[in-house]
Amino acid sequence: MTILEGRNLRKTYRLSRRNTVEALKGVEISIDAGEMVAIMGPSGSGKSTLMHILGLLHAPDPNHGPAPELRLAGEDVASLSDNARTKVRARRMGFVFQDFNLVPTLTALENVLLASDYAGIKGRAARAAALEALGLVGLADRAGHKPSELSGGEQQRVAIARALVNRPEIILADEPTGNLDSDRSAEVLALLRQFNHEHGQTIVLVTHDSEVGAACDRVIRMRDGRIRDYGHRAASVMATEAVA
Amino acid sequence: MRLVRDLGRRKLRSSLTITGIMIGIMALVVFGSMANKIDALVKGGSEYYKDKVTVSAKGGYMGIGGVLSTRMTDQISQLDGVDVVFADVAMMLSDDQSGVSMGTPPMITGGVAGADKGRETFKLNYATGRALTPQDEGSNVVVLGSDLARQFKASVGDTVTLRSVQFKVVGVLEPTLTAPDNEAMVPMAAAQQLYIKTLPTLVADKLNVSEIATGLVVYPKPGVDPQKIADEINASIPGVTPMTGADFDKQIGAATSMLNSILIGIGLISLLVGGLSVINTMAMSVAERTREIGIKRAIGASRWRIRREIVIESAIIGLVGGLLGLGLGAVITYLGNEAGRSSATILFDLTAGTAISSVAFATILGATAGFIPAWHASRLDPVTALRYE
Repeated sequence: MTILEGRNLRKTYRLSRRNTVEALKGVEISIDAGEMVAIMGPSGSGKSTLMHILGLLHAPDPNHGPAPELRLAGEDVASLSDNARTKVRARRMGFVFQDFNLVPTLTALENVLLASDYAGIKGRAARAAALEALGLVGLADRAGHKPSELSGGEQQRVAIARALVNRPEIILADEPTGNLDSDRSAEVLALLRQFNHEHGQTIVLVTHDSEVGAACDRVIRMRDGRIRDYGHRAASVMATEAVA
Repeated sequence: MRLVRDLGRRKLRSSLTITGIMIGIMALVVFGSMANKIDALVKGGSEYYKDKVTVSAKGGYMGIGGVLSTRMTDQISQLDGVDVVFADVAMMLSDDQSGVSMGTPPMITGGVAGADKGRETFKLNYATGRALTPQDEGSNVVVLGSDLARQFKASVGDTVTLRSVQFKVVGVLEPTLTAPDNEAMVPMAAAQQLYIKTLPTLVADKLNVSEIATGLVVYPKPGVDPQKIADEINASIPGVTPMTGADFDKQIGAATSMLNSILIGIGLISLLVGGLSVINTMAMSVAERTREIGIKRAIGASRWRIRREIVIESAIIGLVGGLLGLGLGAVITYLGNEAGRSSATILFDLTAGTAISSVAFATILGATAGFIPAWHASRLDPVTALRYE
């Protein structure tokens, strides 16, 4: 089943009056439920832009060529209002960023609770879910610590717990291992892989790291704002299993 | 709680801003209390003078000034529309009224108890003791207003010295917030005796003590306009100045409302400055937290949530500043009143209304000031905000 599907995705950024960057030049993409997909490509290839559009952080350009389409579980989300996109992000998506992006004044637990709160889940249920998510990433005993008291790897695991807590339909991770050394990087990757295997969690991640790419079911390769290679699911699954 | 912690992380800046609000609210509380006191004084006066005509010697004012004669009461009672007339004597408690005095200075007033024949509607309540009676004529007894009683530290049964003469305290009034608080009320004859001693011997020798008056109080018959009586007095009796309630309101009311506006104005200007500093603090705090706002927006905080968070935070700054300012203002008004107690100068009246409205005002000011940075924060693009260093 296709969980996320995009067609005619274009994005042009205006840097100044004369200087515009055509970051996405018409992309077609389809992510299956339960898939763990890596998007790879050199800097400026448009992979982050694609991620922002898939994550509803930005809307695709509506008026360059054919109308863009973006469907989440079959539902059109291409032309939602800012408020409606925010709601979809809060309830149906989870985000992991390169530099962890935890709120520095809040404890690990409160950071996770923030995501429940925005999704409209409050009180005891939210607390239980947040503690469970922290347990899943192995940080149950660090719930009361602030980000500054946690290592980089731990911070990223808190961020994963925050992304997981609402059991989203899809997790989008932007260079999730980019700021970690190879051991921590492997840990985080293993964690994501585990959720993908055990809970069928759909994960799309952007990465520079070919080892990360190799651990995914499929690698989508981008260059100059276009997708050059969609990868082969079966082949990469076999590759992963071979690595494992 | 989270919001309070956000304030805590910028301790210096938050506390400076809170101090700004605090000073503004303190000014508002102090000046507001002063305005309250003036208002109460004026309102009491306005209430007292509204149903009567007060006659003073020409050049005098509000029953104080040159010497009149009690015989004038006969003349005035002949006038059309006059119901009751009586004479009284008023003088400063002491000749040395140096320094600035707020409101009414301490006075000695004398009158025959019951001379108003029940017409006086300004009711005095007795905290302890009793009112003067006609039988007190001839004896040296006194009823003290609340502020004077405190100044003399005297209660019923004690003896106080008024212009070198000893008087026995028979009653103490409850506070009225207006003139009687600073009055020592004595029988008519006693007041006449005190008054004649204030006059130069040459003048005093020509006067009959028992006929001395400094003011006449005239009550019109029901339905008669006090102004008509005042006009009649002007036309028929030379050397006197009649004053009605309308005159009082015009002269005193106008002056005090001007003063009140100036006082409140000063308070509001200091608050405006405080409000601008809240805007500044919150704008800087938003800039500092750009990235955090980006994270929150990315993981699903609506624009409304971001705005609410910042507005509440700045409302808390306003509330805390307001409460501190109220506390400081309360201390200042209390100390000011205590310091003025010895000279019976009560400058401030901090009412519940003033207290509540200044704190509410500070909170609303904070929230309003937060709205501009909040709006800015809510319009940030999450992706750009996330990249912000």
